[in-house]
Amino acid sequence: MAEETLLNDDFLRQLINVGEVDIVVGLSTHNHARTIGPVIAAIQAGILKCFPRERVAIINADGGSQDGTTELVERASIDDVWRESKVFALRTLHSISVRYDRTPDPGKALQTILAATDLLRAKTCVLISPESTTIEPDWLQRLARPVYDENFDLVCPIYARQRSDGALMRNLLYPMTRSIYGCRIREPYGSEFAISGRLVTDFLAKGISNDDWGRMGPEIAVTVTAIVGKYRVCQAFLGAKAHPGRGTQDVVGVMRRTVGALFSSMDSNFGMWSVVSGSELPPTFGKPPEIEPEGSRINRKRLLDMFAAGVAQLEPVLRSILSPSMLGELQRIAALGINEFEYPAELWTRTVFEFVASYHKSIINRDHIIQALVPLYRGRSLTFLTENRNGNGENIETREEALCADFERLKPYLLKIWADGK
Amino acid sequence: MRETILTELIQAFQQMARDIVHYLPRLVVMLIIALVGWLIAYLLKVLVRSSLRLTKFSKLSENAGATELLHQAALPSSTELVSRLVFWVAWFGFFLLGVSVLGIAGLQEYISEFFLFLPRLFVALVILFFGLVAATFFSRAVLLAAVNANFRSSRMLSTAVRIIIIIFAFSMAFEILGVAAETMLIAFATVFGAAMLALAIAFGLGGQDLARRFLQRKLEPNKEEKEDELSPL
Amino acid sequence: MSLKLEAGWYKNAIIYQVHVRSFYDSNGDGIGDFAGLAQRLDYVQELGANAIWLMPFFPSPLRDDGYDISDYRSVHPSYGTLEDFKNFLSIAHGRGIRVIVEMVLNHTSDQHPWFQESRSSSDNPKRDWYVWSDTDSKYRATRIIFLDTEMSNWAWDPISKSYYWHRFFSHQPDLNYDNPAVREEMWNVMKFWLEMGVDGFRLDAVPYLIEREGTNCENLPETHAIIRELRKRVDEQFPGAMILAEANQWPADLRPYFGNGDEFHMAFHFPLMPRMFMGLRLEDRKPITEILQQTPEIPESCQWCLFLRNHDELTLEMVTDIERDYMYDIYAKDKVMRLNLGIRRRLAPLLDNDRRRVELMNGMLMSLPGTPIIYYGDEIGMGDNVYLGDRNGVRTPMQWSGGWNGGFSAADPERLYSPPILNPVYGYPAVNVLSQKRTAHSLLSWMQHIIEIRRSTPVFGSGSISFLHPANHRVLAYVRQLGKEIILIVNNLSSAAQSVELDLRRFKGNILIEMFGRNIFPRISEVPYLLTMGPYQFYWFRLRQI
Repeated sequence: MAEETLLNDDFLRQLINVGEVDIVVGLSTHNHARTIGPVIAAIQAGILKCFPRERVAIINADGGSQDGTTELVERASIDDVWRESKVFALRTLHSISVRYDRTPDPGKALQTILAATDLLRAKTCVLISPESTTIEPDWLQRLARPVYDENFDLVCPIYARQRSDGALMRNLLYPMTRSIYGCRIREPYGSEFAISGRLVTDFLAKGISNDDWGRMGPEIAVTVTAIVGKYRVCQAFLGAKAHPGRGTQDVVGVMRRTVGALFSSMDSNFGMWSVVSGSELPPTFGKPPEIEPEGSRINRKRLLDMFAAGVAQLEPVLRSILSPSMLGELQRIAALGINEFEYPAELWTRTVFEFVASYHKSIINRDHIIQALVPLYRGRSLTFLTENRNGNGENIETREEALCADFERLKPYLLKIWADGK
Repeated sequence: MRETILTELIQAFQQMARDIVHYLPRLVVMLIIALVGWLIAYLLKVLVRSSLRLTKFSKLSENAGATELLHQAALPSSTELVSRLVFWVAWFGFFLLGVSVLGIAGLQEYISEFFLFLPRLFVALVILFFGLVAATFFSRAVLLAAVNANFRSSRMLSTAVRIIIIIFAFSMAFEILGVAAETMLIAFATVFGAAMLALAIAFGLGGQDLARRFLQRKLEPNKEEKEDELSPL
Repeated sequence: MSLKLEAGWYKNAIIYQVHVRSFYDSNGDGIGDFAGLAQRLDYVQELGANAIWLMPFFPSPLRDDGYDISDYRSVHPSYGTLEDFKNFLSIAHGRGIRVIVEMVLNHTSDQHPWFQESRSSSDNPKRDWYVWSDTDSKYRATRIIFLDTEMSNWAWDPISKSYYWHRFFSHQPDLNYDNPAVREEMWNVMKFWLEMGVDGFRLDAVPYLIEREGTNCENLPETHAIIRELRKRVDEQFPGAMILAEANQWPADLRPYFGNGDEFHMAFHFPLMPRMFMGLRLEDRKPITEILQQTPEIPESCQWCLFLRNHDELTLEMVTDIERDYMYDIYAKDKVMRLNLGIRRRLAPLLDNDRRRVELMNGMLMSLPGTPIIYYGDEIGMGDNVYLGDRNGVRTPMQWSGGWNGGFSAADPERLYSPPILNPVYGYPAVNVLSQKRTAHSLLSWMQHIIEIRRSTPVFGSGSISFLHPANHRVLAYVRQLGKEIILIVNNLSSAAQSVELDLRRFKGNILIEMFGRNIFPRISEVPYLLTMGPYQFYWFRLRQI
């Protein structure tokens, strides 16, 4: 049913014209005309440089853009209408666009791209964010090669990070995914990744994107499906990650899409993750990038204020989610001054686990649980910021490892409270 | 005189005896009805309790915050409460049915009024319940949204929302019961407020982004000077 | 006898390219000859070809397969005598077949008497017939063509103690066309053959006639002046004769060789051929349409010469590096198949002996604008022998039957000029004229059929071309038009079935008639015309307003 509505007649006609391809490059857009120019240029250059012989198609799933995004994508096509100035290409390159809906829906967008990949029998599907203005033509190759040439099923990116960059990724998503599913994927929620045709087919067949978590965070759903289904997963180093929306990012929305999806994924995969202990490093390709110099100034006082206010104001909500002792601990650290403030790794780990358990039991509305985690995350990122302020790459890495170790070590605690009081 | 008194007495006794003879079977019937009613009510209670358990009613009320409310008021669980309510209403109904058998003049009217009143009571209770559910849910939603938007007095806002919704629910319930016509007035007054609130909630839920930005712009006018937000991903 | 005068005959010709040596041996010495060729002209006529292009047959030391001529006015003794040639010419004309001979203008063999005289002393009257220099530093900007064998365009002559100029092998000194005596003598050579009845010349290596310091010594204006002069003389004295340019250049650089219809009548379209192979393998029409769109308009009286394969390697000079690497990887994985900048293989082995692909390629050859050339043997799907040196692997004896030497010669097999192909797939027992003549569905029969259709449809030779650009890039579709005659050609380059929507609105109201089976297809309307096509299938439709 879902596919019927996804592939409308016009899109189907375009797909017929594209025909069988080797690689699909997918772009999910909504009013990205401002950033998509360099991205699409880099994709085109990457295709011409790294995959001149392969049949490649750029497929753009658009959520009702009004600013000409789709036209920009379609302009990347290379056809046989000869123009003097055109770049040299061996083949025709189709760059097509489909409007799956009037409003953006990341799940539907991904599903559209994957359904197209499946129909075109592509061996590899590379997803690129239209906001990744730091993209280089080479990224395409780094993401696609492991799938295309080495039969991997999922290639997750590793970005060059600034010190304080990706606080949620580094404090929750990575350690959590790693301890729960036992696979050290640095960026389980990458803006860029590549998946194999095989995984695409299975992913679509499972209809996971009809589930809550698949809809909420389709990228995490792909990662989790790959790990749980024992697909061949690897990582590739890319360059710096772009932050076009820095300063205006909607933390609650981001948490919903990522943490919410990750938490939800645990319900149906309990049988798998409950027996996992420790974690393994998947094969990683490329050279580790340098730590990027810090580019942002962050008001630490404000972070602390928001944490303290959150703990105080949300007390009744937190009381229903957390154990009394945990709440007490949080109230204690919320009272600390900016200089002595610390939200220790172990306490953070337990906090997250108690949230997971409450989420699983739906103690209160699940979305409210995720929202209640936001102020606490701010507290943890303050500590993260303080710790990494002057650190070099190596001790940042050491601390990251320590946090992950806590997540892995305390997993039995999660298993205990997971089933409690049910 | 004495004879007259005696006759009257005898007559009275006879009348009483007649009345007793007349009423006794009815009383017995009444008692039987009450007893059977109790049995049926008990069965209903068991039935309701198990069906509520089956439908995970406690979870619903838990989600809505009703459980928390009951807990605070030292009342039994919501499932228990509902099943007990069903029991008492049913048994009381049967009891009244029994009483009506006695044929006591005047009482009949009240009894039939009670039976007419029953469905309205039920509707009122349902409204009240969902009112409570909604009050808890929306007050929490408002609280979380306000806290995450770094709004100073989020607790107050949240409590205000809760009170408004509860008042509204109660006035609706009373309106349905027809207990006090004057509550209509209050209800009307609150309807306006509630409509506003509903709009606000719709605004909040439907356009969270917009609302957040609006709030941020309203509450933090000097945003330009502010430092970057930490990038989460 | 000579055929009746017919201007522009070459535009509707089907040219059959053949080497006398390889076609048929009449005297049992192991080498094909003119008497043998004359005997087999019935075959050429049956095939439907109406012109023959002969490879060089002049006396020569044969160090470059006859392109090193030592006498311009005679026939190599192995191939017979001048009388044999005249006899052959007469029979050919009798069968309506015109004859085009090879003329190497640019250079001679170092065994040619002219060069022997020229090198003998610096004051010899013929000294100035060749390009001599005391240093090897002149014309530095000129590229070397045979990179595999030559280090310089200059060679040291120990006899006259100076350097002579050669663009090809060092045993092929370039004639000096700045010398009027050379120009006059070469015209006399051409006149000699034209008077005998020859219908045209393929002029070899024309861009290189003149050298000038500071240029790359190719395509110079002085060279064009010489050609114009030649053409003028041909037109005045031998109306109807044709000259064909061999110039391996980009279409835009080739265009000047047509002049204003006052230089060459025809020129080879070199860049198209590798792109047809590339398009087929990429399953993408882009390379083909791109090169044809870059091809400039040519004067009305001029014509392109199209070919799939010829006696040389499949040349990859006129492609980009990416394209060349691709072609090598796809068509010549084995390094032994590569030669210079090209692939030395025949049509059938290049296409994996896939009948459907062979048909599709021939279909395109016949329907694209130009005069098609069929290389001998390709019409029956002959194979090659990449283990023979140089380009000899594609010059093996013609396979006439499954018998002795494939019916080519009565000589002992050891005596043949080249071993015939013997492997079970392409060898003469499997692939030969006799067996293919017997079945109506053989490649030979099919070729006869398509040639017949092509010849009966003048649009193919003279019509204009306009490309349709259906969104399905695997389908190459174009319209050929001449006056009211309109032909629609649709080719599926893919190995899988395809559906395609063609925008034919400008032909609204026409019905389509498929030209092979003459079946009627639905009428064209406002909506896109939907066709479904099998793997490597192609359609030729005649549009008719009824």
